[in-house]
Amino acid sequence: MKGLTYGAVTRDILRPLFKPSAAYFGLLGLCIAMLAVGGYAFLYQLRWGLGVAGYQPPVFWGVYITTFVFWVGIGHAGTLISAVLFLFRSKWRTGVYRASEAMTIFAVMSAALFPAIHVGRAWNAYWLFPYPNQRQLWQNFKSPLMWDVFAVSSYFTVSTIFFYIGLIPDIAAVRDRTSGMIKKLYSAMALGWRGTDRQWRHYMAAYGFFAAFATPLVLSVHSVVSWDFAMAQTAGWHSTLFPPYFVGGAIFSGCAMVITLLLPMSVAFKWQDYINVWHFEHLAKMCMLTGFILTYAYGMEHYIAWYSDNPYEWGIFVDRATGQYDWVFWTMVLCNCTIPLLWWIPALRRNYISLFLISIVINIGMWFERYNIIASSLAHQFDPMSWTYYTPTWVEMAIMVGSFGWFGMWFVMFMKVMPSVAVAEIKELIRPPLKSDEKVAAK
Amino acid sequence: MTMLNRRDFMKVAGVTAAAGAVACDPRVPMEKVLPYVVQPEQIVPGLPTWFATQCNECSAHCGVEAKNREGRIIKLEGNRQHPANNGRLCAMGLAGLQSTYSPDRFAGPMIGGQPKAWPDAQAAAVEAIKAAKAGGKEVAWLGHARTGATGALIEAFIGALGGKPLFWEPASGVASLRAATKVVFGKDTVPSYDLSGAHTVLSFGAEFLSTWGAVELRQGWAAGRDPKVGGFVSRTVCVEPRIGNTSCVADLHLQAVPGSEAGVALAIAKLLAEKKGYAGLAATALSAVNADELITAAGLKKERVAEVIGWLAANPSVVLPGGAHTAGNPTALAVATLLLNDVAGNIGTSVYFGQTSNVAGQASAQQVVDLFTRLNEGKVGVIFLDGSDPAYNLPSDVKAFDALAKATVISFANEANDSLIPTAIVLPGGTTLESWGDAEARSGWHTLQQATMRPLKDSQQLGDTVLTLAKGLGLSTPPVAAAPAPTEAAPAADATAAPAGDAGAAPVDPAAAPVAPPAPVAPKVLGLEAENFLAYLKSWWAGVVWPKAGMPGSFEAFWVECLQRGGWFQTLPREGASVVLQAAASAAAPALSGAGNLSLVLFPHPFIYDGRHANKPWAQEIPEPLSSFTWGTWAEIHPKTAESLGLTKDDKISVKTDVGAIDVGWFASPGIREDVVAVVMGNGQQRGGRYTKWGANPASLISSKFDESGELQLVQAKASVSKAAGPNLHPYLGHINTDGRGVNFAVSINDLGKGSGPASIVPAHHVPIDPRVTAAGLTDMYPEPEHPTYRFAMAVDLNRCTGCGACETACFSENNTPVVGPDQVRKGRHMGWIRLSRYWEGTGEQPDIRFQPVICQQCSHAPCEGVCPVLATYHNLDGLNAMVYNRCVGTRYCGNNCPYTARRFNYHNFRWPESFHLMLNPDVSTREVGVMEKCSFCVQRLRAAKDQYRDNKEVVPEKALLKLTACAQACPTDAITFGNANDKQSALWAMFQDERTYTMLGELNTKPGVRYMARINHVESALHHGGHGGGHGGGHATDDHGGDHGEKAAPSGAHH
Repeated sequence: MKGLTYGAVTRDILRPLFKPSAAYFGLLGLCIAMLAVGGYAFLYQLRWGLGVAGYQPPVFWGVYITTFVFWVGIGHAGTLISAVLFLFRSKWRTGVYRASEAMTIFAVMSAALFPAIHVGRAWNAYWLFPYPNQRQLWQNFKSPLMWDVFAVSSYFTVSTIFFYIGLIPDIAAVRDRTSGMIKKLYSAMALGWRGTDRQWRHYMAAYGFFAAFATPLVLSVHSVVSWDFAMAQTAGWHSTLFPPYFVGGAIFSGCAMVITLLLPMSVAFKWQDYINVWHFEHLAKMCMLTGFILTYAYGMEHYIAWYSDNPYEWGIFVDRATGQYDWVFWTMVLCNCTIPLLWWIPALRRNYISLFLISIVINIGMWFERYNIIASSLAHQFDPMSWTYYTPTWVEMAIMVGSFGWFGMWFVMFMKVMPSVAVAEIKELIRPPLKSDEKVAAK
Repeated sequence: MTMLNRRDFMKVAGVTAAAGAVACDPRVPMEKVLPYVVQPEQIVPGLPTWFATQCNECSAHCGVEAKNREGRIIKLEGNRQHPANNGRLCAMGLAGLQSTYSPDRFAGPMIGGQPKAWPDAQAAAVEAIKAAKAGGKEVAWLGHARTGATGALIEAFIGALGGKPLFWEPASGVASLRAATKVVFGKDTVPSYDLSGAHTVLSFGAEFLSTWGAVELRQGWAAGRDPKVGGFVSRTVCVEPRIGNTSCVADLHLQAVPGSEAGVALAIAKLLAEKKGYAGLAATALSAVNADELITAAGLKKERVAEVIGWLAANPSVVLPGGAHTAGNPTALAVATLLLNDVAGNIGTSVYFGQTSNVAGQASAQQVVDLFTRLNEGKVGVIFLDGSDPAYNLPSDVKAFDALAKATVISFANEANDSLIPTAIVLPGGTTLESWGDAEARSGWHTLQQATMRPLKDSQQLGDTVLTLAKGLGLSTPPVAAAPAPTEAAPAADATAAPAGDAGAAPVDPAAAPVAPPAPVAPKVLGLEAENFLAYLKSWWAGVVWPKAGMPGSFEAFWVECLQRGGWFQTLPREGASVVLQAAASAAAPALSGAGNLSLVLFPHPFIYDGRHANKPWAQEIPEPLSSFTWGTWAEIHPKTAESLGLTKDDKISVKTDVGAIDVGWFASPGIREDVVAVVMGNGQQRGGRYTKWGANPASLISSKFDESGELQLVQAKASVSKAAGPNLHPYLGHINTDGRGVNFAVSINDLGKGSGPASIVPAHHVPIDPRVTAAGLTDMYPEPEHPTYRFAMAVDLNRCTGCGACETACFSENNTPVVGPDQVRKGRHMGWIRLSRYWEGTGEQPDIRFQPVICQQCSHAPCEGVCPVLATYHNLDGLNAMVYNRCVGTRYCGNNCPYTARRFNYHNFRWPESFHLMLNPDVSTREVGVMEKCSFCVQRLRAAKDQYRDNKEVVPEKALLKLTACAQACPTDAITFGNANDKQSALWAMFQDERTYTMLGELNTKPGVRYMARINHVESALHHGGHGGGHGGGHATDDHGGDHGEKAAPSGAHH
């Protein structure tokens, strides 16, 4: 970052906030179109019932829950990078954490759609929240689905607050470069930030506090999501391995998604000074670590199933690898365990093309991992008489595409209205402007 | 700011609320509910009225109790006083309800498809008959079997027109058995069978647990299966080319070459005669038999046959003949079985005469085909069709549909069928529940059919239409002076007295009438001049049945008693018969015609039967127990044959004979001979109702060939099978066997009595608590929840279960279960609360097929309850796993977590088309889209029982609970017992303590309220050999579990 000035940083990073190009609108339009497809499919499903999805009892969960878990997993990396790495004072986080946090929030927002989409009576989905009502109805706090409601909503709340706190100095920076109504909007959002020492001191305390507060949530939210499965006695789900395995998988997919999102951004906005190979290599290393954890977990799952001598458990794991769902299983193994091994070659984790492609492969693999867990276990339950095979329909796929549109729409809009790289923190990393610089410049 | 005062606030609030109420669109449209202006005497809103009537779904005519709620029959149950079914009812009988409410019912009479008023339509019919008579043409009647007064009326009517009605039961196999009985015993009837005392039930393809005979046969079989009833467990041996809905219970399955069964029966008879030193007349017939040759020709092992002979020689037995769908020579087969019965000493005991089926009026298929020949020749002017569907049932070479167009068809059909030609005069006869009638299906069993509800449509009961036509034609038969009314002194009349179904034509045999004291009233049997059918029916009963009953008092009192009881049933003494052998017994197997390497066998559908029930969605949707297919036609092929043909499970196949070809689904049946293909009958109608649009008609594969009795040969052709375009049918069951899992067990008969306490002779590694835990002095971490008064529970004796589907049908009827149709079934979204699991554990000679009705197990530690986020499902104090539909959001987590997969989800708003909605049980809510549902143990019936006893502050007694649920009530073999597990004196609790009682997936420790009693197999002791299905799919490590069986059974100390 040599040679960068404060002014240059602000100019570079805030550039996307002004005068969007046609390509920007094209991207936004594409996202909204995808969302519209999903919206149509959801309305269609509301009209005709959940039967328009491919559910084949006893496979009562399918693509919706798969995609729900996928998005919750994606939502992991942001807070991990911003909070945990902040506490560890890891420098490489600075360039990527803002966009990752935004990704987290939008991913959780995408995930939050699915519980309502997947329930049979979506118009009654609010019954999942404990609210005072004259019918004296209450929720079952024994149900992991209730825990889920709280885990995801707390995670969303805390991440959002943390995200917003991080944004305040940058919003102020934007405020100072805008005018008119927009300036008023940013002024309100900046909460009167002037960059005084006193403000900075309070700010840093609050930021540290929320970082500490968010850190356990990183571990808790996906552990709780994993309990949706682990607490059930369905073979293939009922495993104490699930919480760490899910958290590992979530970080794996989250870091991959950060690469997928930031790499094109960094190229398109010419942000090589702020986000570059150094960052992506770190992210790739995170993926390598968590991918290894995941591979271990897969192996362990099979080993425990065999060692337990439980015919139902072992039946599931044999079936996953050799049964009707073997293509899902082997897609998962190929995408999550095998292909990411290429990053062990340093050149490949420093190459933008391989970084981008493998990150997408990981995301595909992680979606299939959840699909593998959900569909194959339910399709091969205890009683062989109930065995079946589930195939999603266009409605489910359209709603999944819609969720990507929903996520993309928010992310693209975010790029336009907020700085995607933390301006203030980047400035901390560069040499402050000195009087002597002026002399050098004068010469 | 001006303050809003209280009055203004009230005004605004009132207007707002009213506007809101008006503007809101309630999900259910509002309708006015009006109370009765004049309360009908019999109707108490909310309480059902039960009427005894009869079942007309097959020719057995069991007794029925029809449940009337607010003027509509909403459920059928067996008549507890009827000897043919003793309170139980089969799947076909239960589904009979749907014919009344069918959405395809004709609104009223029609001519050429145009609605007509009754007088006009009847006048047209009269004109047609007059024209036929004037032209010297025949007036024919083709219908299902009718007996009693109804049969008599039809015989009188057609008799007056110079003909004889043809009562035809296409799939009954009666003609051949009747001809054989004539040959062997010189009697023109068919014998009756009693299975209850038989240690060996040897069946040559008889569907005695399915479509053949009354429920009574199944009850007899079940009695022989229960060691606690007769002290023995009968063996069922089946000689037939495939495993059907009866032979599925077989302990031994001898896959004889099709056509060789008669030879096998003769060979067994010969060897048995030698073994027993039998010297009866049958011996002469057997002298020429070369037993070894016949057994070899049938492809059977001699030592197996010798074993069977040993069993037959040692203990009482019964031998049953199959009809035309087993062998191409059904008469020869029937002759052979009757001889075998005689040799085995069964005649007069398990095979008896005296109280025989009333088959005198029944016609053979050949007679029917002859009628169609006359139709084609233009000799028939008018043909009445009463239930029969010849265009569907007869082979395609008869071209029945075209032939019918050459006469005037007068049909009593309520719905469309294949034989209803466009020009037909349709005079809808109303359904069983709407009309009067009677039957004497077995001599002495007079069943009365009363009109239990008003006709839904503009129909007129058949009897009234016939009488009206007779009047229009000026027909009359002289009234007959009947037997004098009985007095105290008059004993019950002799069995042979009244030739049933002959009242219109001849006086009752005077010899049978009691001679002594003169009658107080002289009832007379009316003829065709009877004012209406009810008058005719009553006069017939007064003249024919009342004298037999010998009941003093007025006929009215007798009549009312008969109405209440459902008829009048006389137990006649069993009679034997001696062999006369009017013709030689033949073992010659008929040659199958045509090209093709497989022998074609056709068999009736267990619910759709010969096709007559095809438009009943229950019959279509409830999976056929063996293949678990629904909605369509399929063929059974041996997996090896299928493999050699290169068929995959997704392929549709084409079955081709020289006569025709049909595209059907296929089922890889491990129980069929490799050189046989069997096709199910019943589907593939061309012009039927809306539920008959699937499948293909196998009658197009055969031509009209008959055996000597006139029975249509259903085994007559060779067929070839090839892959066809399109998908296979979708099996409801996902697998063929248990795969070694702890869902179902069988025990060896040799192990009975070796255990002590529940589950002591089923494999031990599937018990709830590992014995090592209890041995260590540890207890269950999860105690039973509190059940202060009741713990409703159920025991299912799988040794009695035959997989007949009655429980499923009863459940559909009782609980307003929606029918989802073939497309949804293909997606596995069957809504039936009972899954009839079929575990086909054995192959070859020992099929070891175990049926298991799986319902919600009502667990005390239900996995579904904990995971529901909104408490829509919870455990109540009665032990029920209750389900609150209105609270359900539809997360379906409960469904995922139920190891029994007993939960059903409403994927759509499943609807009941007009007028099926009138059939719904008002005590059970229908479920909307997005809601989970499951078996409730018929909570509405439980409520009713509890309410009844609560008035006296009593606990519902065991007797009222025993058959409380719809499934238990229906079960023809009494396999299901319901009760209160808190009552330690109850039969249920005793069953729970039985050594063969186990809980499904016991190792999960869900503490189910439903427990199963393992099927008893006639195999060597299984206790030390892994127990079930030959080994454990899970691959148990020997050092871990090797000692389990021993440990588990150790307390008994019986076998170490």
